[in-house]
Amino acid sequence: MIIAVSGKGGTGKTLVSSLLIKALSDTEQDILAIDADPDSNLPEALGVDVNKTVGDVREELKEDTAKGRIPTGMNKWDILDYRIMESIVETPKFDLLAMGRPEGSGCYCAVNNMLRRIIENLSSNYDVIIIDTEAGLEHLSRRTTQNVDVMLVVTDKSKRGMLTAQRIGKLADDLEIKFKELYLILNRVNTENEEEILGKAKETGLEMAGVIFEDDEVTKFDIEGRPLVELPNESNTVKAVSGILSRIRSN
Amino acid sequence: MFEDIPVDVSPMYEGERIRSANMFVELAGPKSMGAELVQVEEDVEDGKIEVIGPELDAMNEGDIHPLGVLIEIQGEHLEKELEGVIERRTHELCNYVKGFMHLNQRDAIWCRVSKEALEAGFKLEHLGKTLAILFKEEFPLIESIAISILTEPAKVEEFVSQAQEEYQKRDSRARELSDEDVDVFYGCVMCQSFAPTHVCVVTPDRTALCGAINWFDCRAAAKMDPEGPIFEVEKGDLLDDVKGEYTNVNSIVMEKSQGTVERVFLHSVFEYPHTSCGCFEAVAFYIPELDGIGIVDRDFRGETPLGIPFSAMAGQCSGGKQVEGFTGLSLEYMRSPKFLQADGGFERIVWLPKEIKDSLDDYIPEGIRDKIATEEDGSTIKDIRSFLEEKGHPILERIKTASSEVPEEEVTVEEETPEAWDETELEGVPMSPVAYAPELTVPSSGGVKIIFKNAKVYAEKVIIKKK
Repeated sequence: MIIAVSGKGGTGKTLVSSLLIKALSDTEQDILAIDADPDSNLPEALGVDVNKTVGDVREELKEDTAKGRIPTGMNKWDILDYRIMESIVETPKFDLLAMGRPEGSGCYCAVNNMLRRIIENLSSNYDVIIIDTEAGLEHLSRRTTQNVDVMLVVTDKSKRGMLTAQRIGKLADDLEIKFKELYLILNRVNTENEEEILGKAKETGLEMAGVIFEDDEVTKFDIEGRPLVELPNESNTVKAVSGILSRIRSN
Repeated sequence: MFEDIPVDVSPMYEGERIRSANMFVELAGPKSMGAELVQVEEDVEDGKIEVIGPELDAMNEGDIHPLGVLIEIQGEHLEKELEGVIERRTHELCNYVKGFMHLNQRDAIWCRVSKEALEAGFKLEHLGKTLAILFKEEFPLIESIAISILTEPAKVEEFVSQAQEEYQKRDSRARELSDEDVDVFYGCVMCQSFAPTHVCVVTPDRTALCGAINWFDCRAAAKMDPEGPIFEVEKGDLLDDVKGEYTNVNSIVMEKSQGTVERVFLHSVFEYPHTSCGCFEAVAFYIPELDGIGIVDRDFRGETPLGIPFSAMAGQCSGGKQVEGFTGLSLEYMRSPKFLQADGGFERIVWLPKEIKDSLDDYIPEGIRDKIATEEDGSTIKDIRSFLEEKGHPILERIKTASSEVPEEEVTVEEETPEAWDETELEGVPMSPVAYAPELTVPSSGGVKIIFKNAKVYAEKVIIKKK
């Protein structure tokens, strides 16, 4: 199952992604986290270090090719395969692949085509894949999220967050990208604005997967830079995301 | 066939990855060393499988060990040249074994054995047995096969350096592989989303324009992704060995370019040059005044002798157009022995950016190397001409002999009606170039179409007026 987490920047995509992984990691399944947002900090939220991203691998290969450093009889497909495997951060509970920065100048068609196939093949070895997508809608128009089963759109109470959510739903329709399911997740809700936000959320026309309330502990973790996966199991936020996961999985 | 192998053996396990969480041991890979090597020998004890060093049951969970795989084969019709091709199959065949992960090739392999495989009783000896069976099945030329699997660090180290020597020998042979040595070229239409009539023809002597893929890469890609954008092109009959024209290359390019491009010369910028996508690493362009060819690459920011920068030139000849006098190319192609051979190769090159020139030091023939101008020697026709004269560039001979004909401007007239056409003399007065176009169609009436190729518009005066 492939779950993508999208939404406007700063709405809490990484919080949801990392806690989904936390919730999944006790299930004995093979989990792959893909950090597809160059501006995100999913690795930090998961408490792991990334040495090399897919972007780095791509640049490295371009450079090796230009400088004639690749032995004549070896093919780039296999070399990329190896280097992508090398860039995966492996932990006992989950693996992580960071996409890194988009490409520089020059032609990347060939490399990207190979990379897409390699990552597809790699992904087929996992039971669950969680993609923390880049903020905004780019991933839809570039169709990097087209094989996704469940698309989760995270929004806070802001108008722009809601608008982005609505657009993601609409664009997916327009581009005829068929997710099996598309859900909205409301983040940073508090008891005073709950009704109002729920009302606005209804207007987006998206089905709701869950609500995450404002949480001082999460804020504290953010300020201290502590990995969000280290939030205690009793945390309301952790429970809320687990609830969202069971809702998705039961459908 | 595999009844004494304790795990499943099937192509369906290809692409299997073993997460470190599910892994028993890792063999070779980035944290250790390893290699695989196929050797054709005269005398091979068929079916002999040997494990030199610790077997899996003597290893501990989470260990990382070096790995060497030596595959010795014998057969009446087996040639040394086949070693590389046969060795390339090791990756796929190892992957048939469930619970055994194998990545890459040569001295850059990376393997893992799953906990599950170990529990089933799998040993390296079984890997050897399986490979022996599969190789014989895949290559009937193999009459006997013996496999040694090395895990003893000192032995692996020795083996890796022995293997590296073999790879080097093989690579120097591969570098010598030329268009004549193969029956199949490859076509690539990956760029057709923005260059709908562009078909890249990749041959041993000509890498793709983007520089990203060579003939070997295409061979791998066509196999791994048969429905993908890279496909085999049987080259067909040779029409011109110097220009590089083949019957079947022409027909495939015609078909894949939706009938737009009828003929392709692989090694020339004239007549029917290879089309250009848009993402080529460099462009070769004809400079009519010097009857020579200049080259400019994507990273060069200045102006070219044509008075325009790379970006402008790329704009004019890209998008899958076949524009005589221009061809997109990869930097690697400049290292090819067939580099623009129909046009004279480096003898015809009069200008190229210094950075490129320096990187090609070993490939530009010594006699011509110092005679090719770079932006440091000048980027205008005048400066280049005096540089060429000073250095005695062989192109001067061409300019001299051709000066009587003055092929400065080619005027192609395509008559669409059989009406007579009066030729107009174009008098050459000293004027300055005001516009340049590789292809220029002049609006006209009367059933004629006038196309100027490599047109330079000269004028005494340019007047721009408000309407």
